[in-house]
Amino acid sequence: MGISAKQWLTLIHEMPISQPIKIMNVCGGHERSITMSGIRGALPKNIELIPGPGCPVCICPEEDIYQAIQLSLHEDIILVAYGDMLRVPVNVKKSEARTLEQAKAAGARIKPIASPMDVIQIAEQNPDDTVVFFAAGFETTTAPTAAMIAQGVPDNLKILLSGRLTWPAIHVLLSSDSPGFNALVAPGHVATIMGPQEWAFVVEDFNLPAAVAGFSPESLLAATYSVIRQFESGKPFLDNCYPEVVKPTGNVGAQKMLSEVMTVVDATWRGVGTIPKSGFALSEPYRYLDVNEHFPGYHDDARKRAGEMPPGCDCAKVVMGEIYPNECRLYGKACVPRHPIGPCMVSDEGACRIWWAHTKR
Amino acid sequence: MCLGIPMQVKSIDQFVAQCEAKGVSREVNLFMLQGESVEVGDFVMVHVGYAIEKMTEQDARSSWELYDEMLATLSAGETDA
Ligand code: SF4
Repeated sequence: MGISAKQWLTLIHEMPISQPIKIMNVCGGHERSITMSGIRGALPKNIELIPGPGCPVCICPEEDIYQAIQLSLHEDIILVAYGDMLRVPVNVKKSEARTLEQAKAAGARIKPIASPMDVIQIAEQNPDDTVVFFAAGFETTTAPTAAMIAQGVPDNLKILLSGRLTWPAIHVLLSSDSPGFNALVAPGHVATIMGPQEWAFVVEDFNLPAAVAGFSPESLLAATYSVIRQFESGKPFLDNCYPEVVKPTGNVGAQKMLSEVMTVVDATWRGVGTIPKSGFALSEPYRYLDVNEHFPGYHDDARKRAGEMPPGCDCAKVVMGEIYPNECRLYGKACVPRHPIGPCMVSDEGACRIWWAHTKR
Repeated sequence: MCLGIPMQVKSIDQFVAQCEAKGVSREVNLFMLQGESVEVGDFVMVHVGYAIEKMTEQDARSSWELYDEMLATLSAGETDA
């Protein structure tokens, strides 16, 4: 077997570290593993691990969730969405449905799913109904949606696509005046599909260290060690610390499916705004599946809500790594997993929820 | 939504495989691995029901160990949420 987590920690502690290094991760799975294994506290004081934009539920724009809620309430459809999405609140009057869960309680037909295969099954079992798949997620979740479409879908299935690419958010942060980090640990399963090369811009354009990591403490510590070494040597390169799953080219077949079925467009991120070339839309031959072709009006109406976030919720700052979850005034007080105020406390990949569930309070 | 789980392929019918992880079995879609030969006995990384890449048995087993620990902590953490 390779080097153990303990040995990695020793290696890291033995390294001379000349100045503070702030390492951002872009994956809820990474943050969960870091928080649960206690890596953060075991590292030297001048190494900071910052959770960044790694939670697809958290950045799914309010207007898309609002559109899903309104469609489910006012059209004769069955709406299906990943379970996490059902509890994400939007900022509307108390008398209105704030979540898909509340819309369901008010009579809307909404079903949680765990896979695009469940979506196909529900559509086939209900041939006389229109089934709308609210497909939110990053590349790892959007690529299977593309595969589902490429494989062929029943006529009664329509799609409300809210897919996002992760790297453009990092590009935006690095292009800003205060990125807040100077090294990157890149998401292992995004790289499994898209290829590690997607992250080369961190090294090439910004001269910062980067390493792709898997989800074990060993892999995360190997990546941490790698970026510290790169930083100290002044010679950054893109390292792959998850070679057991991440191939140099990524999954080429999946990339082809994505580019056939979808195009990359500018897209909004909740609380953050529009990020260029960060979203997926259905490409021309598949546009007939787009829910907006069948139920026009909802899209434009929902757009008016762009940028909305529940009052007092600092999710946008948490997502972009500007503050830690416990720096939000509502964290653990008004906002806990049972009564989430913002999306970061709903999703299993949200930093607030991960911190609340796994850190000592 | 984003957790990948390694599973072992037990049987294959075109693009649908019956896969197993630690005694739990489920259907997995192989459509994203068309370029590769997936055979019974192989290990794959599964994400929202789709195999996204092949992996070795050793790597699959070490991830399972990790998930065991995570799930144990997760259920402990959930109760006081
Ligand atoms: S603790 Fe709650 S209110 Fe504060 S940022 Fe996180 S999700 Fe938003």
